[in-house]
Amino acid sequence: MSVSLVGVLFVAAGLTALGAFIAAWKRELTAALGGLPVMFAGAGTAFAGVARFSAASGALLIGQEMAVLLAIAALAEVGLGVGLAGRESPR
Amino acid sequence: MDSLHAIGFYVSAALAGLGGILLAFLRGHARRGAALALTGLGLAGIYASLSAGFAAIAVLVCYAAAALVLARPDHRTVEQVTGGLWRQVGALGAAVLLGVLAYAAFRGTFAHATFYGGAFGSVSVARLLFAHDALATEAVGGLVLIALVGAAAAWRRERPREDREGRR
Repeated sequence: MSVSLVGVLFVAAGLTALGAFIAAWKRELTAALGGLPVMFAGAGTAFAGVARFSAASGALLIGQEMAVLLAIAALAEVGLGVGLAGRESPR
Repeated sequence: MDSLHAIGFYVSAALAGLGGILLAFLRGHARRGAALALTGLGLAGIYASLSAGFAAIAVLVCYAAAALVLARPDHRTVEQVTGGLWRQVGALGAAVLLGVLAYAAFRGTFAHATFYGGAFGSVSVARLLFAHDALATEAVGGLVLIALVGAAAAWRRERPREDREGRR
């Protein structure tokens, strides 16, 4: 059993499409917001896979760097989205 | 990549996919937060099996924090005005996107290279983040700062509760 770049890209495609589905399907905005970290997860997986299997020369770990930056951006996006949705007053 | 790493990769990918599916279909803030945390756990496993240990730890921390934010019980429920037809069109678009990306992955010709990095790679990634691409790192840091300050400012204002019993 082994993993190749094609297998990694299939997983990345699945996560990206799943995130797009969540963002499109959910009626509640904060729930739809949860789709974006899943899409970022797909993009980060593709970056990390390319860094692992196909980075031939130069800076080999740029894909891993992009994966880290995408995770941080996902956190910022969720924080901003929930903050903009706002706090509900107690009954 | 040996069999153990391959098994770890596929199990982690299944965990991440399961988390995403649960995120799509579960109701309630806490459950959706747990589903996002499961996605983060799976993603960290994927990175760890791809010899990106530092990225795996960063993902664990970031997705756990995002899951905690999403699981808060007191954030407001805001519903889109988009009709069911457009949501179905969006879902079909996501299916088309999956097909296109899978086709590109299957038919693409990719260079193959031997990986010489270590299992963790924190020094190399830190060198990239703080020396090679310092401007990009500072830009993302500024983005995060602005986003969190904006979120905190917006959060201070309470909004009235709206009753949505029986609606999704």
